[in-house]
Amino acid sequence: GLRLASTTARLKTEAEVDTSENEVVAPNFTNRNPRNLEQMALARKERGWKTTWPKREFWHRLRLERTQHYVEAFVERSNGDVVVSASTREWAIKRHLYSPKGVAACKNLGRVMAQRCLEAGINFVNFKAIIPWERHCDSIQEFEKAMQEGGVVLREPRRIYR
Amino acid sequence: AVLWKRAAPLGPMPNEDVDVKNLEVLERYRSFTRYLRQAERESRKPRWWNTYHRHTNPPAEPQTDIGLPREQLSRAKEIKERKRILRENHQNAEMERAARLRTVLIPLDEVRAEWEKTSGPFHKQRVAKHCGVFRDLFKGATFTPWVALRVHYSQEDEHLVPVYYGNMVTPSEASSPPEVSYEADKGSLWTLLLTNPDGHLRDADSEYLHWLVTNIPGSDIKAGKEMCHYLPPFPAMGTGYHRFIFLLFKQHGPIDFSQDARPMPCYSLKMRTFNTFDFYRKHKDAMTPAGLAFFQCQWDSSVTSTFHQLLNMREPVFEFVRPPPYHPPQVKFPRHQPLRYLDRYRDTEEPTYGIY
Repeated sequence: GLRLASTTARLKTEAEVDTSENEVVAPNFTNRNPRNLEQMALARKERGWKTTWPKREFWHRLRLERTQHYVEAFVERSNGDVVVSASTREWAIKRHLYSPKGVAACKNLGRVMAQRCLEAGINFVNFKAIIPWERHCDSIQEFEKAMQEGGVVLREPRRIYR
Repeated sequence: AVLWKRAAPLGPMPNEDVDVKNLEVLERYRSFTRYLRQAERESRKPRWWNTYHRHTNPPAEPQTDIGLPREQLSRAKEIKERKRILRENHQNAEMERAARLRTVLIPLDEVRAEWEKTSGPFHKQRVAKHCGVFRDLFKGATFTPWVALRVHYSQEDEHLVPVYYGNMVTPSEASSPPEVSYEADKGSLWTLLLTNPDGHLRDADSEYLHWLVTNIPGSDIKAGKEMCHYLPPFPAMGTGYHRFIFLLFKQHGPIDFSQDARPMPCYSLKMRTFNTFDFYRKHKDAMTPAGLAFFQCQWDSSVTSTFHQLLNMREPVFEFVRPPPYHPPQVKFPRHQPLRYLDRYRDTEEPTYGIY
């Protein structure tokens, strides 16, 4: 009788002691995640650079480089760090293509790049770093269409100021 | 005062190598694209004078590698094999026609499988570095995740939510333990760890341990010893996105984790407070990090039920507080400033008088 009461009382206090300290919460919370502010659209975009081109007002920028031999796509931050990249130089992509340059290569690179961006959690990308008269090229149009069909939005949301 | 004293420059001046006397011999750009590519390449080079890039980015410290050493396969055979495949591709008329008519569609699953074997680990390491995983968990020491870790959260309607490097998963999808699979030799022992470095409600430097399974033989998670049972993610409302990181360690032999054993079930946040750096330093000689997968998680209505039922506490709600706007030190006679200049330095709140 007495023993049972003591064991049940102890079990109850154990469970209570277990979670009783949970309620104590610090008033200020710091989130160390570097991607947190940009995913909440509260991070700063570099707003200067208005007299030069390309501008740096973005969180992630999609840059397509077409050389004589290869096509490469990079998603980078405004300070230049590459986050996700895909290129026809990689063996995984090169073995399925007849030529690592050209419209077909750009299209498939777009599909692969869209998949990698979504896996990395990058859903909004700035695609303004293309030269205006090159934007109407077949290869760049196919790349853009492939990225949009892959699920990446080529327009970054506006920063929340208030 | 610094610029009054003339001295020799500390490095070569830009365009010093261009011979101004003989300009016709120089190669012209002839197209804007070529100029832009060259300009971008030059802007990325490190300079001896102080640049905006150097001012904003702190200099990179030398990274210590704590991962498994790279297995060097015979490179010559691999190159020969690849060249053979490329030659076959070039001789294939169907591929040539498909490329010409732009109907080629690469099998994305095969590309992904090949990528996981070849350049996947490097890409994952790069994304993890930019998400601050190494900085927060290992204080700067990096590793390349050679073992491809496949993590799936299965839902009720047979739907699978995969976890890649930086995915977005909701807490309601992550309420039950996921299915983890990876390639492992028979007889090897592994440790799986799920931490949340961002969610700690009391101390900003420590993490919350959500799942710890040790001494896993091969790739069978159920056979491993569960030191800490699975707790669904609980990012508090208003705090934004939290990272939840899966770490796979390869053990050199059976390790005794009795110090890290938590009571089953453990719903005390104090017991769940964890530091991966200390944990890894304790077992540094017996295990090495081999796999990495992480996802981003935001508040969801299932988090409320986790707080109320499992953790038995009131749910904390946070609000984003903007840092105060910066104003330069106040000057007695400001030049070209409107009347609201005084309002910027006043302690009390004055009503605004329009545009003045």
